[in-house]
Amino acid sequence: MLAQLDATPVETPEIVWAGLLPLLILSAGALLLVMLRSVVKRLPADVEPHLITAIGPITVLGMWFAAGLAGTDVPLAGLRDDMGEPAFYIGLALVMVLAGTLVRTMEIGLDAAITVGLGLSAFAATWGIWDDRWQVTGPFNAIGDQFAVDGFALLFAGVLAASVVLVALLLDGYLRRESLDGPEMYVLMLLSAAGGIVMTGANDLIVIFLGIETLSIAVYVMAAMHNRRTESQEAGLKYFVLGAFASAFLLYGIAFTYGATGSTNLVDIQIFLSSGQLVDNGLLMAAFGLLLVGFGFKIAAAPFHAWTPDVYQGAPTPVVAFMASAVKAAGFAALLRVFMLGFFSHVDDWRPAIGALAVLTLIVGSVMAIVQSDVKRMLAYSSISHAGFILVGVHAASLAGINSVAFYAVAYTFLVIGSFGVLTVVSGVGDRATSLDDLNGMAKRRPVLAFMFTVFLLAQAGVPLTAGFVAKFEVINAAVDSEFYWLAIVAMLTAVVSAFLYLRIVLSMYLGTADGDAADLGDPIPKAAGLAIGIAFAVTVGFGILPGPLSDLASDALPALIGAG
Amino acid sequence: MLGQYLPLLALLLLAAAFAAGSFIASGLLAPRNPSLAKRAAYECGIVPSRETPERFPVRFFLVAMIFIVFDIEIIFFYPYAVAFGGLGVFGLVLIMVFTFAVFESFVYLIGNGALEWGPLKQVARPSGAVSPDRTVETTIRRVGLEDRGIPADDGQAA
Repeated sequence: MLAQLDATPVETPEIVWAGLLPLLILSAGALLLVMLRSVVKRLPADVEPHLITAIGPITVLGMWFAAGLAGTDVPLAGLRDDMGEPAFYIGLALVMVLAGTLVRTMEIGLDAAITVGLGLSAFAATWGIWDDRWQVTGPFNAIGDQFAVDGFALLFAGVLAASVVLVALLLDGYLRRESLDGPEMYVLMLLSAAGGIVMTGANDLIVIFLGIETLSIAVYVMAAMHNRRTESQEAGLKYFVLGAFASAFLLYGIAFTYGATGSTNLVDIQIFLSSGQLVDNGLLMAAFGLLLVGFGFKIAAAPFHAWTPDVYQGAPTPVVAFMASAVKAAGFAALLRVFMLGFFSHVDDWRPAIGALAVLTLIVGSVMAIVQSDVKRMLAYSSISHAGFILVGVHAASLAGINSVAFYAVAYTFLVIGSFGVLTVVSGVGDRATSLDDLNGMAKRRPVLAFMFTVFLLAQAGVPLTAGFVAKFEVINAAVDSEFYWLAIVAMLTAVVSAFLYLRIVLSMYLGTADGDAADLGDPIPKAAGLAIGIAFAVTVGFGILPGPLSDLASDALPALIGAG
Repeated sequence: MLGQYLPLLALLLLAAAFAAGSFIASGLLAPRNPSLAKRAAYECGIVPSRETPERFPVRFFLVAMIFIVFDIEIIFFYPYAVAFGGLGVFGLVLIMVFTFAVFESFVYLIGNGALEWGPLKQVARPSGAVSPDRTVETTIRRVGLEDRGIPADDGQAA
């Protein structure tokens, strides 16, 4: 019997390693980081600062190599030819020196520096694939017919890498303030982002499930990471129990899909469904419903949002920034992939369900936010209402809809990391000062930070000249294009309602007067966190005033299904 | 076709018969003369008023975690070993990657002292209130600030 098994070689899938580079950088980097920090527990005090400084130039080299490996040519080859080789390489060396200086002035820890380096390298690899491979050859499959590399997946992989970088910068100061230093949080975040990248490109429901679990399990632990705060433990447990519940729904949905279509592969599902051979429509309907419940939990759409306020309130604030940006973006990428690509031929069947979810999510998110008194809770509900907006884009089920979802995901990532970044800094030791009263008079204590927070909040409300406005505009535009006026009207009305909530926070910052024992005494902001908030601010305002580049990027980023062979 | 499982069934029945037989035999044959002292939980000392809490070092938990690490590795090794020939180099590389990733958690556990069973290392700075020195008269550590030349405030803060 064994001899028989030996004789039949198993077909191994064809792998394009370059297409997997962002994923490999994040996951292998996480493993190496945990290895390094387990073997070398404490570095000598005179070596560590130099090592951290060295991470800067190494990161530049890493980005250079990652982009080169991912593409087919030397990165920035055009620029090199323009400048001439010697000048170009001197310029590269200069950038390396600058990076070292920047790292030194940031006073960042070793783990955070390595994580930022890995995130930037993954980002560079994504850019390399986008610029040098995808735009040349079009979308391609990286592992057999299981994992696709297309513009949509690349854009979301870039978003994930960017959120890793920004959240690592926030985490550095936070973990030191809470005396939680250690590589664990960073390692978990890197692994989680790697899972997210798997989700964005997955061509098979089973692979999507693998990605979702890798993404979620790490975040469950991250939510409970503040081991001296019971709220954090509670958040972790709640998120874990409800997340496991959602995974069960998703898996059930996958099983029903398999039952109805005979495959878990999106390409096969699409071919089967569009050929009109479907026998049992009820089975497929059950699959749609169960899959939507599963994804609905991950993206916090009402009525599956119940965990969100508690978890966002209890979890460490930088972790919430990661949850609201990366986890949500990956969830939407997978949702869009499954429904727009796999199930597109049955769009009339699933569209009403998404529409109902969108309306409910918009209303719950904006109305419930008003009665909250805790800023973290408010932002949790506001993130629910943002999920509603993105669902409006999904509901449009058109090219414009996909583009608007991509744009919204990018803009929202920076917005929400900026907002929670400000909260991280001002909430004081133990994340205690997060109630609305604690923000009273913040404009006097920290004028710059208060101004930035105001801009982030106004952007979330959708005020013009911010990326939030363009994002909301495109989503509603997509709904109008597909002639769903009622949904567009609901979206606009709830935007007005939720504007009240953001203005409430702004008012308390500018008009309220601080009582004597305010926890936030205006301690100096950690430089790294300041940098992260600054980047988020620049992106929010930059893409608000000049949305063109991001708009073009989003409209290039289309998902594609490529069959095997 | 199911015939090949017959020995298994026979073994199962034999095992059940042996276990049941042992119980029945000991019930029938064992002599019985109970007394109060024999029934007591402890033969000497104070009669316990409640169950003692079961405390055990958290390190046992870590040992269990290490077991799970290797358990998972083995679970994947078995099917791999069966299909080893067919999978070729591709399978070998994949299982190596998998092994490395799982082994990593073992390295992490060891690095964080999961297998250090000796006395706890002194992490905190020794406070002024407790002297590690033993005196001539006793081996018990001296506690307190008398005759140490340390101001009392310092001890309270520590």
